[in-house]
Amino acid sequence: MSFSSQIFRSPEYTSFRCNVPLKQIILDDTGTNKGWRVYDTGPRSVETPLVFLHPVSGRAEVFFKQLLTLSSKGYRVISAENPPYWSVTEWCEGFMQLLDHMDIKQVHLFGASLGGFLAQKFVEFSTIVHQPRVVSLFLCNAFTDTSIFKYKDAAVLFWILPAIVLRKMVLSNFSSRETFYDTRIMDSIDFMVELIESLSQADLASRLTINCLNSRVNTSLMRGLKGVTLMDVFDDYALGSPIKEKIYQEYPDAKLAQLKSGGNFPYLSRSDEVNLHLQIHLRKYDGTPYSASDNIPNTE
Amino acid sequence: MATRKKVLLKVIILGDSSVGKTSLMNQYVNKKFTNQYKATIGADFLTKEVMVDDRIVTMQIWDTAGQERFQSLGVAFYRGADCCVLVFDVTSPGSFKSLDGWRDEFLIQASPSDPDHFPFVVLGNKVDLDNRSVSTKRAQQWCQSKNGLPYFETSAKEAVNVEQAFKTIARNALAQESDVELYNEFPDQIKLDGGSTDNRSSGSDNCAC
Repeated sequence: MSFSSQIFRSPEYTSFRCNVPLKQIILDDTGTNKGWRVYDTGPRSVETPLVFLHPVSGRAEVFFKQLLTLSSKGYRVISAENPPYWSVTEWCEGFMQLLDHMDIKQVHLFGASLGGFLAQKFVEFSTIVHQPRVVSLFLCNAFTDTSIFKYKDAAVLFWILPAIVLRKMVLSNFSSRETFYDTRIMDSIDFMVELIESLSQADLASRLTINCLNSRVNTSLMRGLKGVTLMDVFDDYALGSPIKEKIYQEYPDAKLAQLKSGGNFPYLSRSDEVNLHLQIHLRKYDGTPYSASDNIPNTE
Repeated sequence: MATRKKVLLKVIILGDSSVGKTSLMNQYVNKKFTNQYKATIGADFLTKEVMVDDRIVTMQIWDTAGQERFQSLGVAFYRGADCCVLVFDVTSPGSFKSLDGWRDEFLIQASPSDPDHFPFVVLGNKVDLDNRSVSTKRAQQWCQSKNGLPYFETSAKEAVNVEQAFKTIARNALAQESDVELYNEFPDQIKLDGGSTDNRSSGSDNCAC
């Protein structure tokens, strides 16, 4: 398949693909599972890395700008793309296995849209079944309740729909009026569209199923979280403002990393601002046992 | 458009180290002051929702490191700034002399489209101290020479003039942000698929992309 969008052809992306190896990590022995796709960058000595979780349409590559920048600043940053899981619990178990496999006891999580929802569910899950494993959350355009989406009644049938129909469902949310004069947002959409083409029917159907089956986050079940940053954009994107208000209410002490614009994928279209906010989010852990970097904190 | 767009105002505070940038921000947002000095590393920000002329706006106030060696976060924090606050310490003539440098630094890094009319607000902080060495007149003259910048004498410690200063900052920032809007206003796009875009804020959406 040939990729032609600006981002795919950029030297930055080429450099990423040339320098960071993609790992396929297969966790079950039945052979039916095609495994997690993982990029692991930055110093391996760091025991509390930042792990990125993608949105419905994304792949592990969507965070390449964060991986490049933050790893160069001494942070261990990992982007993890899941194989098809058909329920939130299955996903949480799978992610737990992945962390065990990679020998990671505690993590900082960055979750975008569905990834943000799953990140929150994982905080709950790890609290309930094990020791709390998530040190901090950085949620980007995320939500706390799947009932905001249409199709919740149809979600049980997604597994049967052809890939082309599923792709159309995802793509219908991509562009909005405001994005048309912002080339960086347009480039980010082009990049995501090309990535969607490379997703299988099972990938799309399972993600949409998780996204639309009724489920909600219960923040009272969360333990061990030391910090939350909520990122959202003030221009149009797929989620409306009532959803934002809801997530603000759930995390009253969160730091609000708001951007004037950026569309659905600010980590691509406004990567320098997102990277700045990520550094501010992670910096307070430098020099503590929860540090995501091997930096010695800069003090007087 | 029936509803007015939500507004985010980005405000950047610049000035020499230990003039009270962080204290001013903390006094304004959290109503707190501490005498303990801790150098800011890189940059940090606080958010506050305020009413400006019966409009609710979100102010994102960025506090930057005065010391050059801590300015490690790149230029992303200058991008999209709507107002720049220049702070000096009225007991430190050096910090007053640096204002020119900070102003130039901002104009270079942020490169606003109309540098001559970009809103700066100047704060002479620490007026609660006795050993004052920069007079009000001298500060006002400098502000006058830069196209008449608003000038406030503040004390972050005793919360003197802080609220008033930030009110002006918010209003000037909003005026700046609305100016930029004018250039960005495109006519409504014509939809061919008959789909409705109005339900975006209604909370029922297809997916999370």
